[in-house]
Amino acid sequence: MSILKLLTSSVGRKILMAITGLLLAFFMAFHLFGNLFLFLGEEAFNAYVNKLHQLGFLIRIAEFFLVLFVGSHAYSGTLLWLKNRKAKKVISSYSKANTSNAARSAAFTGSIVFIFLATHWSTFWYKFNFDLQGMSYYYVVTESSVGFGSPAVSIFYIVAIALLGYHLKHGITSAGQTLGIVGTKYEKIYNNLSAIFWFWIPLGFISIPIWFGFIARVI
Amino acid sequence: MNINLKIWRQSSGSTKGILKSYRLENIDPNISFLEMMDILNIKLVKEKKDPVAFDHDCREGICGSCGFMINGSPHGPQKATTVCQLHMRAFSNEEDILLEPFRAESFPVIKDLSVDRKAFDRIISSGGYVSTNTGEAPEANSISIKKEYADEAFLSSACIGCGACVAACKNSSAMLFTSAKVSHLSLLPQGQKEGKDRVAKMVATMDEEGFGSCTNTGACSAECPKEIGQVNIARLNQEYISSSLSSLLKKKE
Repeated sequence: MSILKLLTSSVGRKILMAITGLLLAFFMAFHLFGNLFLFLGEEAFNAYVNKLHQLGFLIRIAEFFLVLFVGSHAYSGTLLWLKNRKAKKVISSYSKANTSNAARSAAFTGSIVFIFLATHWSTFWYKFNFDLQGMSYYYVVTESSVGFGSPAVSIFYIVAIALLGYHLKHGITSAGQTLGIVGTKYEKIYNNLSAIFWFWIPLGFISIPIWFGFIARVI
Repeated sequence: MNINLKIWRQSSGSTKGILKSYRLENIDPNISFLEMMDILNIKLVKEKKDPVAFDHDCREGICGSCGFMINGSPHGPQKATTVCQLHMRAFSNEEDILLEPFRAESFPVIKDLSVDRKAFDRIISSGGYVSTNTGEAPEANSISIKKEYADEAFLSSACIGCGACVAACKNSSAMLFTSAKVSHLSLLPQGQKEGKDRVAKMVATMDEEGFGSCTNTGACSAECPKEIGQVNIARLNQEYISSSLSSLLKKKE
């Protein structure tokens, strides 16, 4: 079996999606670690971002791989979605809900997350890298109109991250199934760890707009 | 009991189908669903109308011939039951019952409720053979197999290939069927020799036949009359990964 044949078979595409998906989930944990510096105050956050900037080309390489992972995950997902649509015939009566909503809506939640990522890059990432205009990183996130200074941005952020968590609720267990972890002795550990990624990490992300976008403004 | 049936009528694969209504009165609740269908067909024949075509053979729940959608569920409302083992007592008096064939691009309609499931046979035959000595029955203790493996292999081999998994799946994926067939052999020593080749070929045929891919929703296992578990799909994936890796490594040598 050639690599091309492997990667274009239905199971191969899913393996690719599982691996890229899990790597992106690990990146999320790292991303949240950085975001939580916001709660330590302006100086700590700015110092952290400056540290990252000092890494220079290493960050660019990492960014290249992140975009590659997101791209191949979305690309495989879209191709499989199209194949699946073609395989199904219209039915007038349809089965009762015998599957979880998270599983059935994974393509939809994934699409919303993709739109969110596009806006995320065009605002935070672009501003941080090229268009700071003398503002501090902390200010961009907590006060500016592209950040949580705007209630609309905060609400969109909260909704998108919640959907991302929902996407991962299915995605993480699904990756375990695709990589063949289910049915082995690691299944239980894997399933227990999965809640970190679909629940606790998204909750950590959401805490930031809730605090800086709403609560900190009132008190 | 009285029932109101709505049945998908389609005279051949190339013509358009419609839902037609039928009413049956004084049905004994203890007859099986297919016996009820026989009563309907006898009535239709007496009226010089075209009887409803549906697949069936053993009527004991072990051959995998029967199966259609009853109120949107493959094999009907009862868990772990084929249509032939379903009884009219599972329904209530004056209930509306909607019957449709299994729907999938890879399962073209032959007539009414009967669909062509040869795609499954092609997946099986693409898997090839198992090396085993023919002749007399083999000595029972010459190959020792751990009880857990024997039990798991038996559970996988319970798949009757009825196609309910494809019909239940929102993607019309044949992963549960294929994975049951793959893990049934891969769990046993007799299936090891050709195992790596088998999984690659069966997945390739499954893709060629136009089945969708698995999105791990679990609808197939929920509807499977033989309760084939999701763990089979994980096993197929394991087998597929190790098969791909070993063939990639072999090429380099």
